[in-house]
Amino acid sequence: MTILFTIRQKWVDRISNGWLNAVTFFMLLLPLAIGLGLVIESFPLLHKYAFTQLIGSSDWSPMDGKFGFYDFIVGSLWITLLSFFLSAPVCLLTAIYLTQYAPGWLMKLMYFVIDVLAGIPSVVYGAWGVLVIVPLIGAYVAPIFGFASTGYCLLSGGVVLAIMSVPYMLNMLMEVLLNIPVELKEASLSLGATYWETIKHVLLKQGKSGIIAALNLGISKALGETIAVLMVVGNVVQVPHNIFQAAYPLPALIANNYGDMMSIPMYASALMLSALLLFIIIILFNILTNALVYQRNK
Amino acid sequence: MNLHKIIRTVFFITMPLYFISCNSANDNSISISGAFALYPLGIKWTEQYKKLHPTIRFNVSAGGAGKGLTDVIAGAADIAMFSRELTPEETRKGVVLFAVAKDAVVPTFSTKNPYSNLIHHKGLTQDQLKAIYFSGGNITWGSLLDTIGKDNISVYTRSDAAGAADTWAAYLGGKQSNIKGTGIYGDPGLADAIANSIFGIGFNNVAYVYDVNTGRKRPGIDVVPIDRNNNRMIDADENFYNNTDSILAAISDGRYPSPPARNLYFLTKGKPTNTAIISFLKWVLTDGQQYVKAAGYVPLPKEKIKEQIEQLN
Repeated sequence: MTILFTIRQKWVDRISNGWLNAVTFFMLLLPLAIGLGLVIESFPLLHKYAFTQLIGSSDWSPMDGKFGFYDFIVGSLWITLLSFFLSAPVCLLTAIYLTQYAPGWLMKLMYFVIDVLAGIPSVVYGAWGVLVIVPLIGAYVAPIFGFASTGYCLLSGGVVLAIMSVPYMLNMLMEVLLNIPVELKEASLSLGATYWETIKHVLLKQGKSGIIAALNLGISKALGETIAVLMVVGNVVQVPHNIFQAAYPLPALIANNYGDMMSIPMYASALMLSALLLFIIIILFNILTNALVYQRNK
Repeated sequence: MNLHKIIRTVFFITMPLYFISCNSANDNSISISGAFALYPLGIKWTEQYKKLHPTIRFNVSAGGAGKGLTDVIAGAADIAMFSRELTPEETRKGVVLFAVAKDAVVPTFSTKNPYSNLIHHKGLTQDQLKAIYFSGGNITWGSLLDTIGKDNISVYTRSDAAGAADTWAAYLGGKQSNIKGTGIYGDPGLADAIANSIFGIGFNNVAYVYDVNTGRKRPGIDVVPIDRNNNRMIDADENFYNNTDSILAAISDGRYPSPPARNLYFLTKGKPTNTAIISFLKWVLTDGQQYVKAAGYVPLPKEKIKEQIEQLN
């Protein structure tokens, strides 16, 4: 009886080990599989034109077989940067305030707000952008700076994206700051540092890698967001010269032209290439942030 | 404990099968996707059909004609609502079209536009419209209406692959990609954007400009009359944009040009074999036709309908 029992346990052990390994392995393979799939799908286009020519040219006219992704790449990067500059400082300062200064109930309330913000579907953000942000920027903000704008522009996209990436950034930043050992703070304060100096030199230094990771999460979120952006960004194929002009980010290109995939030769391949470009940009971002974190830990 | 584990394992292993089985030929559910132009009528038809056949389930979604076509070819939808002509590329994919009704795309502007009276009085010619939509602005309203006024026109178009955009471009001698302007997703979104833009101009399907229940134009949106004989004024036979009935009559008798007047289609991948889909299409082409006019569309001539039904036999 006992022998049987141990044999069973052994097998259970083996199987669960196998399971865990398989699942982990599968997870590791996932990005690789996605990347590979995108490369295979976009191969017809890559086979016909040089990669550098595709990403370096602004000539976008699929009907005539011209696929220049430059405007889309620039549009994507602009809108991501804009949303980052609008949201990152606010999130960082909010996180510092909530974790270091604010009463406990306020932090609890903020967690609730974060959950609500994170739970709102992106199409709702988009509709809200169209109803509120676009008229506001078109009628009031742009004229203040002396520009004429329809309101469907980079800035609208940036604002909507900034608000969408707040819950992700803020949540992680708060976790990072809360996890810093209280002894470090006490040591710094006992040496005569002021509260703000302690935050600046101890908390932010100690939490640097976590903060960078949190900001990276926000950037990735902003880069990949599709429907909310395409509803407010104007979708004009051009390199925007100021934030009150329309742009055309990569995810919007894919979502808008899904319907033309079947009717124009090479189009499906071109859309897959834009997905691949997004994929590459995300990977580059992650390599960059990892390098920053690694440098810091050396 | 063990039983739990077994059940759980079995469930996880077979989970993909449940998903597959959900999508496969469930005889009682028909999914329809595609053109915004046909969406209100599609909803009307499916509601009425459900009253007669309570067991059937419909899933109707709008996302532009192109999306409908792609969905049908990819097998993600049974029927596409389609609002333009097929390109030779698309014809080769072996899809079958059933013309089900007629409507039109009309050029639209905002009721806030200060030039509104002049626009109604003079209209715009085909050449002017072509210059406007294919250049994407940089034209003043004043120069179009022979008056002073330095306000630049701002052009709005559809960002998604839309039958409306393609049909409108066809009238101007081009394709959707020739229309330059701010791209807005979906017909309702485009109507909103134009209503809010003082100097804006765009285009919409008739069903999104006129309110079927009141017969009048929706608040905030107005139609640019087309000056067909180029005499720079809107004559009596060019003036039919006032309400649903007058525009539908003009589409029907050809006073409104075609394109932008056009046939609307249901489209399937190959000839439909599923009996539920066949009987729904048959109903649409017979008893279903009584709802066309009330929903704000132009019914097709009897011979045309006959041809469509013959495709099903």
